[in-house]
Amino acid sequence: MKLQFFLNGTDVVWDVRPDEYLSNALRRHGIFSIRVGCDESICGSCTVLVDEKPVLSCSVLAITVNGKHVTTVEGIQEEVARLSHFFGEEGANQCSYCGSGMAIIIHALKKEYKNPTDEQIRDFMVGNICRCTGYHSQFKAIKAYLAEGK
Amino acid sequence: MSLRANNYYKATSLDDAYQKLKDNPKNAIIAGGLWMKKTGLSYETLIDLSELHLNEIKVNKDEIHVGALVTLRDFETNPEIKKLNGGATSFGVSEVVGPAFRNTATIGGSIFGRFPFSDVIASLLPLDVTVKLYPEQSYSLEEFLNIKGKVDGILTEIVIKKEEGKGYFHKVKATSLDFAMVNISISKRNNKHYIAVGSRPLVASLARKAMIEADKGDFKEAARLAAEELSYLDSNNISKAYRQDLVKVYVLRGLEEVNK
Ligand SMILES: Cc1cc2nc3c(=O)[nH]c(=O)nc-3n(C[C@H](O)[C@H](O)[C@H](O)COP(=O)(O)OP(=O)(O)OC[C@H]3O[C@@H](n4cnc5c(N)ncnc54)[C@H](O)[C@@H]3O)c2cc1C
Ligand code: FES
Ligand code: FES
Repeated sequence: MKLQFFLNGTDVVWDVRPDEYLSNALRRHGIFSIRVGCDESICGSCTVLVDEKPVLSCSVLAITVNGKHVTTVEGIQEEVARLSHFFGEEGANQCSYCGSGMAIIIHALKKEYKNPTDEQIRDFMVGNICRCTGYHSQFKAIKAYLAEGK
Repeated sequence: MSLRANNYYKATSLDDAYQKLKDNPKNAIIAGGLWMKKTGLSYETLIDLSELHLNEIKVNKDEIHVGALVTLRDFETNPEIKKLNGGATSFGVSEVVGPAFRNTATIGGSIFGRFPFSDVIASLLPLDVTVKLYPEQSYSLEEFLNIKGKVDGILTEIVIKKEEGKGYFHKVKATSLDFAMVNISISKRNNKHYIAVGSRPLVASLARKAMIEADKGDFKEAARLAAEELSYLDSNNISKAYRQDLVKVYVLRGLEEVNK
């Protein structure tokens, strides 16, 4: 099937199968920042933005983003660089498999809440699993990142 | 797991969608598609309802109309929904996985699936909720859950009656992303109590004897009855007896909470 959408702002037209998941279509076209951790809609490592909302790319059919805007970490490079700085400061990255999904969900968190409480941050991040860090260092990095420039 | 399908069809009207559904037993409506991915079944044609304006929440003086394609996230963050049942309905729905998941899973898929573990169904059951289907059928949520066998039709919307009230929702889970071991949902409005218990591991039901006792003010007895009058079963991670103990504790806490 013909799929037309905007990938990080660029108009693209791809051929997809009716049952092809977005994560697969993206990786097939060289977007390897998409990591499929569980392929079970639970871990969040495949998170992308569709029309600015975070969704699990392993669990939405590619054809459903027809006409929409899809953003991966390649589309928010400056923000990812700032975030990486705070993650580095706090030692919040080890293997970084969860990293691109984390960056996307943190981007969405920042857009949705001006001054999120600790509880709101935790609730927003609950669907993004990290098997290395134990979350505390990430939580500190996120707080520092959100506080920047305030 | 992933679903398999040969075709993807965008319906142009409810009638068109229903005809397509009837064309072939291997055709199915797809909403968020999350449960369909999990079950990994094969379909001939997936029928998409996204052109049919079913993703809106409309509010009038007495009711909230929630289209079948409203996502769980849009539902739980809607200001009118947040006011319902003292915030307990919105909170209950927010207990489903994470926000990225809830940006895709829909109200229609969650109710049509009649999932035994459902926090969405448990959250809504103590309220006055009507489920509307095409071709035209209308059921209370409780009736809808009790329909025997496969439901014939397309869920178009649910209608929630707006009533002032206090609420409580508690999901007992082993980890934050887990299914409920039990979920307890209570509403108190117009001096009446409504108590739903789900994930027993059977689909949520109202504990009617417990509700009568709660109206009389005997909360301990109400909690005991809720743990007794409904059917409970053993499952992999939790025994029937433990489930019943949990229900006793959390129904009591919930009743105390809504009567503060
Ligand atoms: C990994 C995972 C974890 C989950 N954890 C929880 C949890 O902790 N708590 C909880 O409450 N829920 C949980 N759920 C269930 C989830 O919340 C949704 O209820 C579920 O995904 C169904 O919503 P959907 O929009 O994805 O439906 P779909 O998967 O699209 O559809 C589900 C079924 O309903 C049919 N259908 C959908 N819409 C309609 C319609 N309008 N009319 C007629 N038929 C229709 C479909 O044909 C299909 O048979 C979980 C699901 C998954 C996959
Ligand atoms: S890979 Fe998509 S949620 Fe885990
Ligand atoms: S750093 Fe390894 S999974 Fe998060």
